[in-house]
Amino acid sequence: MSTYKVKRRDFLKITGLSGASAALAACDMPTTITLEEGEEDVVSYLMPEEYVIPGIGVWYASTCRQCDAACGIIGRVREGRVLKLEGNPQSPINQGALCQIGQAALQVHYNPDRLKQPKIRQGGRLIDASWDEAFDVLKSHIGPDSGIDGSRIAWLSGTVSGHQRVLMDAVSEALGGAGHYAHEILNDTVVDKVNAEVYGSTNIQYKIAEAQVVLSIGADFLSTWGSPVHNSVQYGKFRDAPRGVLIQAEPRMTVTGGSADLWLPVRPGAEGALAMTIAAELVASHGADAKTLPQAVADQLGQYDLASAEEQTGVAADLIEKAADFLATRGPSLVIAGGTAAAHEHGYEAVTAAAMLNVLLGNVGKTIIPVADFPYSALAPKKGDTAQLAAFAKKARAGDISVALITGTNPVYTAPEQLDMVGALNAVKVKIAFAEFIDETSAMADVILPLCSDLESWGTHVASYQTTDAIISLQQPLMEPLYAQTRSLGDVLLAIMKLHNAEQYGPFADYYGYLRNVIAAVPAVAKEGLGDEAYWQAGLQKGMLTVAASAIVSAPLVEAADDAAGNEEAKEMVDNVASEDSFTFALPVYEKDKDFPLRLVPSASSRLGDGRFANLPWLQEAPDAITKIVWNSWVEMHPATALHYGIKQGDIVRVSGEDGSVEAQVYLHKGINKDAIAVPMGQGHTEYGRYASGRGVNPLKMVAVETDSHSGEIALCATRVTVENTGRNEELVKMGGSESQVGRKLVGTITADQLRRV
Amino acid sequence: MSLENILKDWSKYRRGHEEGGHHDYEHMWGMAIDLDKCTGCNACSVACYAENNLAVVGEEKFSKGQAMHWLRIERYWDEPDLGENRVNEYQIHGASFLPMNCQQCNAATCEPVCPVAATYHTPDGLNAQVYNRCIGSRYCSNNCPYRLRYFNFFSYYEDSWPEPLQMQLNPDISVRDKGVMEKCTFCVQRIRKAKDDAAREQRDVLDGDIKTACQQSCATQAIVFGDLLDEDSVVSKVWKKHEVALGKASQNKANPDKRGYRVLEGLNTDPCIMFLERVREV
Repeated sequence: MSTYKVKRRDFLKITGLSGASAALAACDMPTTITLEEGEEDVVSYLMPEEYVIPGIGVWYASTCRQCDAACGIIGRVREGRVLKLEGNPQSPINQGALCQIGQAALQVHYNPDRLKQPKIRQGGRLIDASWDEAFDVLKSHIGPDSGIDGSRIAWLSGTVSGHQRVLMDAVSEALGGAGHYAHEILNDTVVDKVNAEVYGSTNIQYKIAEAQVVLSIGADFLSTWGSPVHNSVQYGKFRDAPRGVLIQAEPRMTVTGGSADLWLPVRPGAEGALAMTIAAELVASHGADAKTLPQAVADQLGQYDLASAEEQTGVAADLIEKAADFLATRGPSLVIAGGTAAAHEHGYEAVTAAAMLNVLLGNVGKTIIPVADFPYSALAPKKGDTAQLAAFAKKARAGDISVALITGTNPVYTAPEQLDMVGALNAVKVKIAFAEFIDETSAMADVILPLCSDLESWGTHVASYQTTDAIISLQQPLMEPLYAQTRSLGDVLLAIMKLHNAEQYGPFADYYGYLRNVIAAVPAVAKEGLGDEAYWQAGLQKGMLTVAASAIVSAPLVEAADDAAGNEEAKEMVDNVASEDSFTFALPVYEKDKDFPLRLVPSASSRLGDGRFANLPWLQEAPDAITKIVWNSWVEMHPATALHYGIKQGDIVRVSGEDGSVEAQVYLHKGINKDAIAVPMGQGHTEYGRYASGRGVNPLKMVAVETDSHSGEIALCATRVTVENTGRNEELVKMGGSESQVGRKLVGTITADQLRRV
Repeated sequence: MSLENILKDWSKYRRGHEEGGHHDYEHMWGMAIDLDKCTGCNACSVACYAENNLAVVGEEKFSKGQAMHWLRIERYWDEPDLGENRVNEYQIHGASFLPMNCQQCNAATCEPVCPVAATYHTPDGLNAQVYNRCIGSRYCSNNCPYRLRYFNFFSYYEDSWPEPLQMQLNPDISVRDKGVMEKCTFCVQRIRKAKDDAAREQRDVLDGDIKTACQQSCATQAIVFGDLLDEDSVVSKVWKKHEVALGKASQNKANPDKRGYRVLEGLNTDPCIMFLERVREV
């Protein structure tokens, strides 16, 4: 018999328990038994923490932070770990559902590449530091004794709302007027501008479930546009009897396009012409009254007809005729525009032309409900766009920014090469990043303060899309922080405020204390008879606080239009309303470009988004909805275009524009306009962890900096390109071998006529 | 489990619809998926990864067909190529999406070929996979007409869940090791929990007590799950309304326009998942 004795501690190591205990210790569990040598702790569940029943999962409500739709989530917590996220059935936004990006928030939280330790740049390299050391550096630059001129400090963030925004604004003010530049490459600036002008509000509720026919021009509303999960819930009801008809017009098929009854392959940039052709057809064949339209628009209707439609838009005349017929005969209708339709030099006109269809069809106030702005403007989202980023870059390059405070945005990755973000950031003396990961932007920082994950943080949020009543979404931590040297963004902001205004902010022990205090200040009328504590507890359980019912606002243009027919005075009003803000309306006429005949569509997906989800393995391995390709980049082309250029499936091609080029494999399908080339956003990272970096290409880099003529927002789909074969070919890594059903009934399809006979 | 016993008790392990064997089951878990509501968004698939400890295999292994997506969304084109006369230049009717998870066949073709009875039918009508018994012959996946069984060619527990990703793993079910076959279980751990809860409260499992992870995530509510033996369950009603019944290789519908069908039903596998046909206006 062996005399070797396995010590209990070794035994635990061998069986793997010590790993588990280390992990659990990180969860800060209260009751621990120390082993013989006193180095490792094992948690005893004889005396579990309050609310913890070993083996039983408990669900807590919070708010999803993966995008700005602010869906309610519930997270299953077991033994101090969050294991699964689901949609909160009580949330009026997502009503219990959750998209794949929301599901994958767990992999942000548990990501192996998360920052665990603050970093300070020394001798050109980022060196690990303690939180206090890093915060001292921050203090030396933006503390009360730093002596810096506040106008030389700038926030560079993503879209931010709620009390994080309140504190950011407070920091700006305390610093003496620091600027705040918010950047999101995928934004609705153009749509917001049109909505404000046509409907009287940037907050529009699209009542998809109440429509019988929906025409969406460029807006992938089921997957990437607006509040996708909310829209999808509505879409489910829209398909109930009597079944609604979905028409989708876009250059490259999206998830929404894949579900359309009628998919219109509009040429990139011709979305406005398509809307105008449909309007002309409604007036010519269906008795729609052009008098309801502003003169500037009505005057141009004559230029559009079915005969020239295919030449102008790339969509066959009979399909446009059909679309107009559905809109005229199957009401109530709803026209949505955005996404790729807005991403052109004339994006504003295209979205306006689509809005005019709603005016013409009498949808405003029925399926399009403009509602008042969020009642607490300080909490309303500060929405990001590219115009603000360009302004930041300009100021930085001029040497007018000494300190940049960067969080929640990655412009070094998302901004086109032409904007030269690297150059702009190099011109900023001190860059302080608050980040969960080292991405392309935080890699340039001088100090990085690592943030807690969204599942470890407190927060309040106001959705960028007010789908229902005005609500404040509550984000509560679903577990203790994994890493001791991380803080939530709210806590960091509060700590900065304590430096500047100890009297006012000093009493709050932490961000939770601050939030709890400000919620107590919500007027009693909003609390509907609940006491303060009851209001707060109810809010925590539901994951949100309802502050007010949405007030419906009247649309100036439509109000006037209602009386316009046959009434000259009212007609003048329509034109006056529309002519405010120098309402001009000039849509381009299609001309083929000889050198660069194709247009690049950097396509967005609910997989990798604008690249921020590329570090999540579930989403990398989730096949793209249309091409079914995984883990890589690709180029989508129409087979007829490919034939013209001598390109086959799987060929590696070079897509070149004046500002750069990318190389990727070709996937051919007939769900793309012949003049379009689509390359998905999201890959081509040089940083951002093991799952993202060094994989595929980033089409955003080669986007030409053309801007929408009215809003100044970047026109993402305006880049003209050409394509050439490199002569190499590889097998596509995608799900499924067969592109067709080969005659088997896998997906059965019946016509709507058959359905109506049931 | 000796061969002798397997042969002797054969009917216990494989009760085909020929004898109407499912009628004396406790439950018969089934699903209905409305393809007119499914948008192909893939939320169900990722929810399944989160719930069922599915391994992420990476690009190279994916290219070899080793992905572990228990629930995958297949996408088909009406006519993928240009065609001779280029009549249909564009996919004007959109795409066809098909969520495919284990069809939980009553006459499962995977079951009789297992040399060790690692895959068998439970009294719930589930086509179960006993990981501990599986020897990795892969006969079952070879025999599955839907290609919905997934084999662990490797041990994924280190590569797929580097520290601290493994903390997300669902402790209610195992992480499968190399050499083992796995597939959709209809979230058996959720069924188990609902049954335990019901037993503790001394009641029957009620319709709606169990939501599979995929069903839960679905925004359009395309997926319905429940007990087909419970006449009042939503799923039974959908099956009935669309004139699809278990125990048949083809459905004789009074109204041929009803949308219900089962994939490759003619193979006589008697699946427990019914699909509702996609509808197109034009």
